Amino acid sequence: MRSPRSIVSHALLCAASLVMLYPLLWMLASSFRPNTEIFTSISLIPAHPDPAAYPRGWTGLQVPFGHFFWNSAVISVLSVIGNVLSCSLAAFAVTRLHFRGRDLCFALMLGTMMIPYQVTLIPQYILFLHLDWVNTILPLVVPKFLAADAFFIFLLSQFFRGIPRELDEAAVVDGCSPWRIYWNIMLPLSLPVLGTVAIFTFIFTWDDFFGPLVYLTDIENFTVQLGLRGFLDSSGTSDWSAMFAMASLTLAPVLILFVLFQRTLIQGIATTGLK
Amino acid sequence: MAGRRPILHAGHAFLLPWFVGFFGLTLGPALASLYLSFTNYDLIQAPGWVGLANYVRIVTADSKVAESVRVTLLYVALSVPFKLGFALAVAMLLNQGLRGLPLYRALFYLPSLLGASVAIATLWRQVFSGDGLLNRVLAPFGIHGASWVSDPDTALYTLVALSVWQFGSPMIIFLAGLRQLPRDIYEAASLDGATAWYQFWYITIPLLTPVIFFNLVVQTIDAFKAFTPAFIISGGTGGPINATLFYTLYLYQEAFGYLRMGYAAALAWLLVLAIGAVTALAFLTSRRWVHYEA
Repeated sequence: MRSPRSIVSHALLCAASLVMLYPLLWMLASSFRPNTEIFTSISLIPAHPDPAAYPRGWTGLQVPFGHFFWNSAVISVLSVIGNVLSCSLAAFAVTRLHFRGRDLCFALMLGTMMIPYQVTLIPQYILFLHLDWVNTILPLVVPKFLAADAFFIFLLSQFFRGIPRELDEAAVVDGCSPWRIYWNIMLPLSLPVLGTVAIFTFIFTWDDFFGPLVYLTDIENFTVQLGLRGFLDSSGTSDWSAMFAMASLTLAPVLILFVLFQRTLIQGIATTGLK
Repeated sequence: MAGRRPILHAGHAFLLPWFVGFFGLTLGPALASLYLSFTNYDLIQAPGWVGLANYVRIVTADSKVAESVRVTLLYVALSVPFKLGFALAVAMLLNQGLRGLPLYRALFYLPSLLGASVAIATLWRQVFSGDGLLNRVLAPFGIHGASWVSDPDTALYTLVALSVWQFGSPMIIFLAGLRQLPRDIYEAASLDGATAWYQFWYITIPLLTPVIFFNLVVQTIDAFKAFTPAFIISGGTGGPINATLFYTLYLYQEAFGYLRMGYAAALAWLLVLAIGAVTALAFLTSRRWVHYEA
């Protein structure tokens, strides 16, 4: 049934989504344009599509962009592994095991969610400086293996609470160790929420600018975000099409994840209020 | 032994990574930064105790702090209401059982997912430059804007626009909240002749206040902590003439530009106090305007 009201709504929504996505599509189109055309054309279709800006941007800095992609991929994948393992261990402990101080631990986990990173930033930097970890990926990756993202512990523990206790009680009666319950029962039953943790960790790490800015100083170690910023500073404002070409490439992994997993992502936000 | 639950011990082993992280990366550093905030420390010489001098200087003598507080508060006060307003408006439009809802929802959410990246901040810098996309689009309408990013009067608004552009995630949360609202109240109101406008103000908004409250708190805290867009758009300076000098950006400059670690730690603790105070205020006033029962 098409009421006039729903036609008006569709028209409004179409117009709004077009306005919102227009800059993105224009950026993609402009990466296939010569520089002279970028400042004159507002169209979403390049007059003479030309991919020349891609190889030009790829080698625009003294280190090729592929290097930055590799660095970002390593950091992001390790962060995913670290978060999934360490946060699920902690969540399992506070929801399924009995020990002194359990509730206090859970309260402290919730408390750390409130602390903005600026407070711990400087002492952490000094610590990593003394460990000689600055200019390596360790300051970016090791915290993920130490369950530093308390939010994900909270998310996982909420999910674990929904898994019937009878399952692990039966397993205990059969002589299962806590480790096997964690590994063979809880994790396989929690794949959807572990997927949410993994996807969000990957995207947040991939997009992270501040951490790499503070800890990675050598261009060899740059992530894509730092590489892009370096490119903007060195030649970006004179070669916008190469800049846009590289910018589009850095967005590609997030876009692909979004297309593949948008249902998981949107549910993750609706239920938890994540970014 | 009916009724006796099997008890699992091993909790401390499972919590070991978190313990190390909590003491080594959160609690320890938080206390250390509190101590550093009362010292002068440049990473080379040992920290020297200066008492409250850092705090006194921040509050009374540092004009850049005052500048950055003004910029940050303006950014928060403009970006959060507009963002939530758009989010709610679009969520209301989407909540009419329209076809194609998943597609619209995905399209509107996309900027939220991409917005934190350097790529988008870079794009913004071009779009709002003197000969950038926005002025090209406006030109046929006879509007010839200057460079929005390099004019101190407008630079901050380009960052507000970037933030509002990312209204997708609060929109999804509003949409989830709207779907939970009981239908029978609306049916009863319609029978009583309540207009759509009346239903919106006297049914939807009150029932939605818990969700509004949640979005408000989360988005406000996020806005206080924003960093990357201002850094990229201003090339790390907070310019033009400090117009985009977010408090977090100034903190970064003091810490890693001038290596004034003690001073930056004091700035960080004041930020925590500010965020804590705003959050506490939100929770205190929430009793007056947030309704948890239908």
